[in-house]
Amino acid sequence: MFRNTYDSDNTVFSPQGRLHQVEYSLEAVKQGSAAVGLRSKTHAVILGLKRSTGELASYQQKMYRIDDHVGIAIAGLTSDARVLSNFMRQQAMGSKMVFNRPVPVNRLVSAIADKAQVNTQEYGRRPYGVGFLVIGHDHTGPHLYEFSPSGTSFEYYAMSIGARSQSAKTYLEKHYEKFVDCDLTDLIRHGLHALRETLQQDKELTINNTSIGIIGPAASSEAPGSGESFRILEGEPISGFLQSMLPKEEAMGFAPAPAAPAAAPASDQDVQMSE
Amino acid sequence: MDHFPTNWGRPRNDAFDAYNTYPFHVRPDNGPRDAFADNVQRTQQPIVTGTSVLALKYKDGIMMAADCLASYGSLARFKDIQRLHEVGKFTVIGASGDMSDYQYLQTTLDELLISEEITAADGHSLGPVEIHEYLSRLMYGRRSRLNPLWNSILVGGVKDGKSFLAYVDLLGTTYSSSTLATGYGAYIAQPLLRKAVEGREMDIDENEARKIMTDCLRVLFYRDARSLNKYQIATVTDSGVAISPSMELGTQWGFAEGIRGYGAQTQ
Amino acid sequence: MTSIGTGYDLSASTYSPDGRIFQVEYANKAVENSGTAIGLRVKDGVVLAVEKLIQSKLLIPGANRRIQTIDRHMGFATAGLVADGRQLANRSREEGRSLRSQFHHPPTAKMLADRLGLFVQAYTLYGSVRPFGASAIVGSVDKNGPQIFVVEPSGVALGYHGAAVGKGRQLAKTELEKLKLAELSTREAVIEAARIIYLVHDDAKEKDFELEMTWIGNETGGQHEPVPKDLFDEAERKAKEALESFE
Repeated sequence: MFRNTYDSDNTVFSPQGRLHQVEYSLEAVKQGSAAVGLRSKTHAVILGLKRSTGELASYQQKMYRIDDHVGIAIAGLTSDARVLSNFMRQQAMGSKMVFNRPVPVNRLVSAIADKAQVNTQEYGRRPYGVGFLVIGHDHTGPHLYEFSPSGTSFEYYAMSIGARSQSAKTYLEKHYEKFVDCDLTDLIRHGLHALRETLQQDKELTINNTSIGIIGPAASSEAPGSGESFRILEGEPISGFLQSMLPKEEAMGFAPAPAAPAAAPASDQDVQMSE
Repeated sequence: MDHFPTNWGRPRNDAFDAYNTYPFHVRPDNGPRDAFADNVQRTQQPIVTGTSVLALKYKDGIMMAADCLASYGSLARFKDIQRLHEVGKFTVIGASGDMSDYQYLQTTLDELLISEEITAADGHSLGPVEIHEYLSRLMYGRRSRLNPLWNSILVGGVKDGKSFLAYVDLLGTTYSSSTLATGYGAYIAQPLLRKAVEGREMDIDENEARKIMTDCLRVLFYRDARSLNKYQIATVTDSGVAISPSMELGTQWGFAEGIRGYGAQTQ
Repeated sequence: MTSIGTGYDLSASTYSPDGRIFQVEYANKAVENSGTAIGLRVKDGVVLAVEKLIQSKLLIPGANRRIQTIDRHMGFATAGLVADGRQLANRSREEGRSLRSQFHHPPTAKMLADRLGLFVQAYTLYGSVRPFGASAIVGSVDKNGPQIFVVEPSGVALGYHGAAVGKGRQLAKTELEKLKLAELSTREAVIEAARIIYLVHDDAKEKDFELEMTWIGNETGGQHEPVPKDLFDEAERKAKEALESFE
């Protein structure tokens, strides 16, 4: 493997002003299975592809509830995700305790981003090896954020992270302008279409390998009583959503002109995972 | 790696920094934190004090009133101070008790506003509910460390069409009601306020609310030896906070001649 | 003398034989790779503007701000690593708070930049940390009037009439030097700031960008605020026109 002089720890800038250890941590995110997030004017949803290590193993959890109004999907090192999500929960509780107010989502995401930055500047640490998609609802409506180990957080209309996420991004970039007016069912369908793009050739989305996290009023197909708060749908309850998916070609052509799919990036940096 | 030798071998503060990931310069000091550790005597009584604060809910929002006196014991020491204070765009607070503690609170709340509202600049502003919760945590925290801020505070405001009025004191006790009064006013004015307001909050317009307030302030001025006939009234409505300049209270003393032991009577 | 491969450029705590600290120079490279940020100190106010390069069209326009607020009357524009810039802003807020409570007075840009400079400089002394890969422009209207200071990765903090950091700083500085900054009104400065950002943006090499501008002046009551939409739109329109006539 290629090695260079400036990549052995995170307190060293390369002559170009780059931080190689931080860039490698972004690769760790791409080792994780994909997650997709998108948002309408009423809802925010995250969808995750779960992996299992074998026939006898269960599928790895992809989503965590932080508070009633915030949930995350992760890609990368699960243990790092647990550290950060515990921190987020503490922040959320702190806000309830001190101000009697659900923590504003942007501040919660900025808090973990600022925390992650420290790990890019001090000797003897490594940057976190996990990326988040954070959805939440607060005073200013539904939101979707991406958190990355470089210590940044950005707000998006739609985003994907993890293995082969570029393919999902291509789908999202093609359709994102429609998301804002979608109802929940259509929003989830778009999400599933995007998530499907990250699958390997012979794989498909099933009720076992797919998780859906939702914030916003319940869809008609959801169990009565669910709604508004963050909830994770897994197993049987998502079969209806899976069935509503359109075949691949048709899904891409959701747009008026079924133009050639947007060009893939010149260098495909995504890591191919064997499952 | 922690470069501060004074921290080596000491436990981390798990509640604050469970994973030791804060930057060096904000890492918490884990020295002893015991109320008795530094062997000092804490506040036992207020020094320069303000008397009652009154507040009520009415049709347009909330109204709060307080006089302009800060007493030094029984001496009417400062006669033009402001005890009603605007916090952000939606909230007014008023305090009785120790005035230096109150000034400290005002500074603290101003810093809170800068760090939570101004610098975040994300549209999440603090309303009366949040300010009251914060104050209650602050007051309770201080009293639990046996170092209370010697005040009773009323917090009132209107945000997103909802009006809010609540009380918090030096013990961290809180309660909420459509009429509130602190200090002597809790005994003298609160029954009058309840009679005038309770059940008809939505029928009272600003003029009537002002009348109720000045009537109560007048009674207090007659009965409370630490009060003054100069006062201010604050309103918080959908259109924001307004604190009046100080005003004079109309009073009558003609009847005093007839009171035994007051005037020139010999018997 | 070249830095690469000598071994003298692997730590901020190492000088090269000719007395340079390469890690600090490399940190400056991180700043030079980022979108331009400029600050104008004019007659009655301060204007900050950044060229925010857009990495993805899925980003929500206007949501991810790069100019931050330190205190009511103080703004903070950064160029370089975004995360480092946020850390500097957070530190500035702490310093601002401490100055405010010590002096019971709004902190001045000079005091704040001096303190931030000391903080940043500490990160150039040790092998156990790296320098900050970000430069900051601190702008405020305080008791000294309108003020602009720049804090660089080396820790140096200097006052300016017009400041530019990031990719297009050379061209931006040339343009700033042409202006009579001391005579401009804050309103005129907004127009000029937009023009400069549009001018220095390299269409050929760079992705899309978003202009972000804030100001402090009489019209904002001395508060640091985003430039209001009507003025912003006017400035952006004029900037585009100027660009066409420039080419």
